[in-house]
Amino acid sequence: MPVIELAGVTKRYDTKVAVNNLSLSLESGQILGLLGPNGAGKTSSIRMMMGITIPDSGIVNLFNKPFTRSSLDRIGYLPEERGLYKQMGVLDQIIFFGQMHGLTSNEARLRAFFWAERMDITGVLHKKTRELSKGMQQKIQFITSLLHEPGLIIMDEPASGLDPINADLLQGVLLELKRCGTAILFSTHRMDQVEKLCDSICLINNGIAVLAGTLPEIKGAYKRTRVIIEFIGSSAFLNSAEIEKATSCYGRADIKLKSHGNAQKLLLEAAAVATIEHFELVGPSLEEIYIQTVKRSIVA
Amino acid sequence: MRNIILVAKREYLEQIHGHAFIISTIMLPVLILGMLTWSFIANKASTAVRHIVIVSDNAELGHLTRNALLSNIGGRLTVDVVTPLTSNNMRALEKQVVSKAIDGVFNIDISSSGDIESSFITRPSEEFNLLRIETAVNRAAVRMRMITHGLMPDDVNLILKKASVEAYSIDKYGQRKQIKKKNTFLKPLIMIFLLSMPILLYGLDTARAIIEEKSSRIYEVMLSVTSPDDVLAGKLIGVGAVGLTQMSIWGGSLALLLASSLFNVRPIGTFSVQLTFTEGLMFLVYFVLNFAIFNALFSGLAATCETAQDLQKFMPIAITPLYVSVGILPILLKDPNSKLAIVASLFPFTSPYVMISRMGLELVPLWQVAISIGILTLSSWIVLWLSSRLYRAGILMYGKRTTLQELLRSLRYS
Repeated sequence: MPVIELAGVTKRYDTKVAVNNLSLSLESGQILGLLGPNGAGKTSSIRMMMGITIPDSGIVNLFNKPFTRSSLDRIGYLPEERGLYKQMGVLDQIIFFGQMHGLTSNEARLRAFFWAERMDITGVLHKKTRELSKGMQQKIQFITSLLHEPGLIIMDEPASGLDPINADLLQGVLLELKRCGTAILFSTHRMDQVEKLCDSICLINNGIAVLAGTLPEIKGAYKRTRVIIEFIGSSAFLNSAEIEKATSCYGRADIKLKSHGNAQKLLLEAAAVATIEHFELVGPSLEEIYIQTVKRSIVA
Repeated sequence: MRNIILVAKREYLEQIHGHAFIISTIMLPVLILGMLTWSFIANKASTAVRHIVIVSDNAELGHLTRNALLSNIGGRLTVDVVTPLTSNNMRALEKQVVSKAIDGVFNIDISSSGDIESSFITRPSEEFNLLRIETAVNRAAVRMRMITHGLMPDDVNLILKKASVEAYSIDKYGQRKQIKKKNTFLKPLIMIFLLSMPILLYGLDTARAIIEEKSSRIYEVMLSVTSPDDVLAGKLIGVGAVGLTQMSIWGGSLALLLASSLFNVRPIGTFSVQLTFTEGLMFLVYFVLNFAIFNALFSGLAATCETAQDLQKFMPIAITPLYVSVGILPILLKDPNSKLAIVASLFPFTSPYVMISRMGLELVPLWQVAISIGILTLSSWIVLWLSSRLYRAGILMYGKRTTLQELLRSLRYS
C-alpha cells in the first residue's frame, strides 16, 4: 500500500510550470530521494504533498486516500529553511509542535526528553531558540518533525547546516525509522547520502521526472565501463586499444573503457606486464548518472 | 478548535513575556501618574497664600472688594485694606511688591462721575486670574451702590444670591437625562484612548510579527500542521486576550488607586468620570469587535508584505478612523444626535469610537446601538473572511511585493 502517491500532478505559477505531470509513489519502510538541480520543482512538489499549495491538476494520495488535512497528523515535515519561533524556549517549542500534532502536553514532554537525549541536545532544552546555531536549530526542527511518530516523514534538504558527525547521527535515525516501517521522502543534492539511504530516487528537472526507479534498477541500466586496477610493475597496459581514457597514480589506475571495450582482454594485457592486486569493473556513480541525465534533459 | 486554542495560547504567552508588554503595561500608567503628579505640584504652587493690599480713599469699597476677593478666590489669599489713596502710600507699596514683601497692590477709587477706577500692580513672574479680580471688584461695586441707595445688607445678600441651573435632555419617549456640566470632553476622550491603544500597540505589533514569521518560514511548518484559518484565528484570539489583560491591569490599578487614600488629594481638582454598567458592557462589546476588525485587516495585509516598511503604506487605515473620530468630537459634544454623528456611529471603522462617545453624552436610541453592533459584527466577519484569504495566499508568496492583481486573484482562488 503506497503511503504517498502522486499521479500526473502539475503546478503552474503564472507562466512558469513548476511541476509537470509528476507521478511517484512510496511504500512503508522505504526511503525515496527526490533529486534535481536548483529550481527543478522539488520544493513545489513537496509543498503540494503537504497541502501547503494545491495542484492545478493531478492527484495526491496520502495513506491510500485522497489528500485531506487530517492526514497531516500522520506526517512529519522538515522544510528547506528553519521554521521555528525564535523567541520560544527549545523545550516549549518541541512540546508545542507535538501538541499541534495531537499529542498531550505530557506525552510531548516525555518524547521531547527522549529525542533530546538521542540527538544530543539536552544541554540546550532550556535555551531560547534564537540563541542556537543553525545546525542545532536543524536538529530541533528534525525532532519536531518526528515527535508524533509519523508514518511518513517528508524532508527538504535535511542535512543542510549539519556537520559530518551530526549528519551521520541524522542518517542513523532515518535508517532506524525506516526499519520501524516509516516511509521517508527527502530532497537533497548530496549523492553520498542518497547512495547510503535511498531505496529509490526520482530525479526531476524543469518540473519533469527525468529518471525514476530503485537504485539497483537505475544503476543496472547503465553499462559498466569503468575499471579500477591496483598493480605492481609496468603500466604499459594503459596503452591498450580497449581504453578510451585512463589516469594512473602510485600503482592505481582509473580507466574508462571504449564503448565496445572488453574488460577481460584488458585484464589479460595488464597481468602480462604487472602483478594485479585489485581489479574491479564498476558502473557510473550516482553523481555521474545525475549529471548525465540532467544534461541530457536540458539538451532534449 | 484545539489547534486554534494552542496557537492562541502560544501567542498570548509569548506576548505577555515580551518586553513590549511589560514596558507598555508599566510605562503608560507611570506616564499618566507622572502627568497627574505634575498637575498636582503645579496646582500646589498656584495655591500658595498670596498677599494683596487694596489702597482706596473709600474704605467701605475697599472692604467690600476685600470680601468679594476672599469669597471668589478663597483662602489662598491674604488681603489688607489701606486708606487713604496717596502717592506716598502707592510708592511704598510698589516697593514692597518689588521686594516680594507683598504680591500685589490694588488701587481702587470712585470718580466724581461715579465710575469705579482701579488698577492692579504685581511682579512679572506672578500669575493672577484677572477675570476673577475684575468679577470681585464689580460685585463689590454693585453691593456698595445698593447699600448707598438704602438697601439693608441682608437684602443685598438675598438679591445677589446665585441661582443654579440643572439642564436636562428629553427624548421622544419622554425620558429625561441630566446634561452634565463638567468633563463632557474628558469621558469620550478616555474611551477613544482605551479603544485605540490596544490596536496601535498590538494590532501593528501582530502585523509586524506576521511579516517576520513569514520571512522566517514558520508558516510553512504551521501550514503543514493546521489550516491558515486556524493560525489566523488563534493569533487574533491570543493577541486580543493580551490586549484585554493589559486593559484589566490598567483598569484594576486605576480602581485601586481611586479607592486608596492616595487619590484623596484630588490632584486635578474636580476630575471624575463615571461609567454605568451598560456603558461598561457596551465598551467591552465594541472593544472586542473593534480589535477583531482592525487586527484581522492588518494581519491579512501584513501577509502580503515583505518588510515592515511595506506595511507603512497601510498605516492610514488604522490612524484615519481615529483622527476622524477625535475630529468630530466637538460636533458630537454640540449635538450628539447630528446626522454626521449618527452616520459615524454606524460606519464600522468609526462606530466603536463614536458610538461609545455618544453613549457617554446622551441616551442613544436602542435601535441605533443594535444596528451599529450588527453592522460592525457583519463587517468584522467579512474582514476576517477576506483577511484569511489574503493571509492564506500572502504568506506563501516569498521574495516579492504582492501586486493588486495578484491579491485579487488570490481572493478568487483561495
